[in-house]
Amino acid sequence: MARRGGVRSPLARALTLSLALTGALGVVVAGVEVALVADSRVAPWWLLASFPAGGVVHLAAGLAAWRRRPSNRTGPIMVIGALSWFVVALANTGTPALVAVGVVLATTPLAVVVWLLHAFPSGRLRSRTSRLTVAGAFVVSLVLQVPLYLFDPGASPGGMLSVGPRADLLSAGTWLQRGAGMVVMVVTAGVLAHRLRAATPGQRRVLLPLYAYGILAVLATPLGPLLGPSAGLSVAQVVGFQIVLLAGVPVAFAAAMLRGGFARTAEIQELSAWLASSAATPERLADALGRTLGDASLQVVYASRDGHALVDGDGTPFDPSALGAHRHLVDIDLGTRRIGAIVYDATVVDDAELVRGAGRVAALAIDHDRLTAELRASHADLRQSRARLVDAGDRARQRIAQDLHDGLQVELVLLALEAQRLARIDGAADLPDAATRLRVGIDRAARNLRGIVHALMPAALVERGLTAAIEDLVDRMPLPTRLAVAEVDGRLPATVERTAYFVVAEALTNAVKHAAADTLTVTLEHAPPRLVIGVADDGVGGATQDGGVGLHGLADRVDALGGRFTIESPAGGGTHLLVELPCGS
Amino acid sequence: MRVVIGEDEALVRTGLTHVMQAAGFDVVAAVGDAHELVRSAEEHVPDIVVTDIRMPPDHRDAGLRAAVEIRRGHPGIAVLVLSQHLQRAYAVELLGDRPSGVGYLLKQRIADIDTFTDDVRRIAAGGTVLDPEVVGLVVARARGHHDALDRLTPRQQQVLALMSEGRTNASIARTLSITERAVVQHTSHIYDEFGLALSDDDHRRVLAVIRYLSS
Repeated sequence: MARRGGVRSPLARALTLSLALTGALGVVVAGVEVALVADSRVAPWWLLASFPAGGVVHLAAGLAAWRRRPSNRTGPIMVIGALSWFVVALANTGTPALVAVGVVLATTPLAVVVWLLHAFPSGRLRSRTSRLTVAGAFVVSLVLQVPLYLFDPGASPGGMLSVGPRADLLSAGTWLQRGAGMVVMVVTAGVLAHRLRAATPGQRRVLLPLYAYGILAVLATPLGPLLGPSAGLSVAQVVGFQIVLLAGVPVAFAAAMLRGGFARTAEIQELSAWLASSAATPERLADALGRTLGDASLQVVYASRDGHALVDGDGTPFDPSALGAHRHLVDIDLGTRRIGAIVYDATVVDDAELVRGAGRVAALAIDHDRLTAELRASHADLRQSRARLVDAGDRARQRIAQDLHDGLQVELVLLALEAQRLARIDGAADLPDAATRLRVGIDRAARNLRGIVHALMPAALVERGLTAAIEDLVDRMPLPTRLAVAEVDGRLPATVERTAYFVVAEALTNAVKHAAADTLTVTLEHAPPRLVIGVADDGVGGATQDGGVGLHGLADRVDALGGRFTIESPAGGGTHLLVELPCGS
Repeated sequence: MRVVIGEDEALVRTGLTHVMQAAGFDVVAAVGDAHELVRSAEEHVPDIVVTDIRMPPDHRDAGLRAAVEIRRGHPGIAVLVLSQHLQRAYAVELLGDRPSGVGYLLKQRIADIDTFTDDVRRIAAGGTVLDPEVVGLVVARARGHHDALDRLTPRQQQVLALMSEGRTNASIARTLSITERAVVQHTSHIYDEFGLALSDDDHRRVLAVIRYLSS
């Protein structure tokens, strides 16, 4: 992911643009509606204009929330609320068809408020009860609304929606709607009370008035006409009060969402739910964090094992000092260890605490990613070393084949010729000498063969074990070689003995060939559970593990047994090879 | 002269038996297992046991351990140990404290039948025979460790090597085409250099020299 200074991502810009257009459209609709009701004689014009105005308030709050928290659904719900207000406002126009639509959907703003109450703060309905209750609220506002215009010709223009005046059914329908509405509100109150109990004291301080206000705003609609007259208020005053109350709902919710700290926990709870799901992959973690925080340019970088260096997802080193102007960095800690950092756009996310909170939730996943990356790396190493071991085996076979082909095979052909020549010798006097020459030749071939066999599997190693084999090796060195053996009694596991032997043999061969050394030293120490092997020379140094097939092959052999292979070879300072092999006890 | 042979390879065992019999030895037993070798030696009490090092039951150094055991239990039985690969440590082990009636040779020396049967006789008679290759190992290793060795002339070093193989003064003189008197002069010089007590016993001087060089 490229860093993008303080510039918002194209996606974020597209969202802002479409939200702005939606807002402009809403304002136009509201303006048209206000114009349509301006000359109405039914009610004061300000009262009629307050419906589209309420829609605009909903729209403004919804769009603000949407823009600031793109992943939160509260904003979209408020925009739907705004739509319902614009539709309800149609009931006050003079066009019968539009009025009819307004009448049919007259109580939907209340259902939207119930939806908001249940969905706050994430904008998503989290429980089955909530989903059923919100569905119930829409049934009450749409289905149970039907008797109200079906049996009351006065409810729609010219009774166009009515089947005739049925006062009894109208009354029953009205009470049924109120009763069902009360059930919805009681259940809602129960759900919210349950949430309040589960909330932290800090959240409760904001949630309690918010919930109380939301419930009151809903109840004011059915209760207003009942209680208003007894309080000495005119119908217009009651309706105006209800509208202000309801219009305040999205403002209160948007404010609580953006400032109250709930959006953070809600979105972060969603993030943790996402992290726990199977969809959580390293590649998508940064995307998920970006969605949570509303910053598409967000980047996750990982700390090296010691916590100092940072690398990005591809393993490329990341330099925090080279950040762009508005790019900020927040560390992610797990326990006391820095495991990574989140790099975000400070013009999009203005609160570092929010990023830190998201980081804490993602910490385990990030550590998991880091471990996965390490595991992948070691898996790759393992595959390479396995390939090299196979290659080393092939090379060894090739070398043996070459030795047999160039040496022994040629010798045997010559010996066969010699034997045949022997058969043709006339003078008996020459025969003994020729036969002896043949025997000497065979001796030479046999010696050659013994050398090859010995290189493959030294007799001393088979017969007496590691110490004897290395003593024998040292005996045959062309340079003065000191051997110090400590605590190596009895036999070690065969693989350990063989590996240790070939480590020493190869290292000594290398030293003789390349080091220009005067003396060599071999040390063997059995310090359970390890066997420590050292081969040192006083030569020219400069040997590296990668320098030769031999040393690399040794390192792989040692690695295959779970041992450690280190080589110190400063130029002019001799070479010191140290190998530790685990050997059980 | 009665011989017990220990060799697990049937072909080599048969071949060795034929070679020995043709050279006039009485092969009283030829076995293919180290335990059996010890039993046969105890049963027949031969003049000499000729055995391979790598033998059943463990296919490691069972033959060598059997030889050492026989030597310890029956000082009268000489042993000749054969091997595909010679090791300094085995030579020192075999010599032990009693450098008589012991031999350590490369297996392929069998092929040089005359020299081989000659060596067997010398060993059976209480002599010591070490393979030139193992002597070479001892001397090569001692070089750099012992200044005395480096002070020897090339000729003296040749004499030292032959001496270490268990060769008599007469044999050394023949090999180097010098007089026996010259050999004696060389050996006494070597002894002086090494600070060893002069010994006329050909067997004992092998142990002294090998021990000196291996120290």
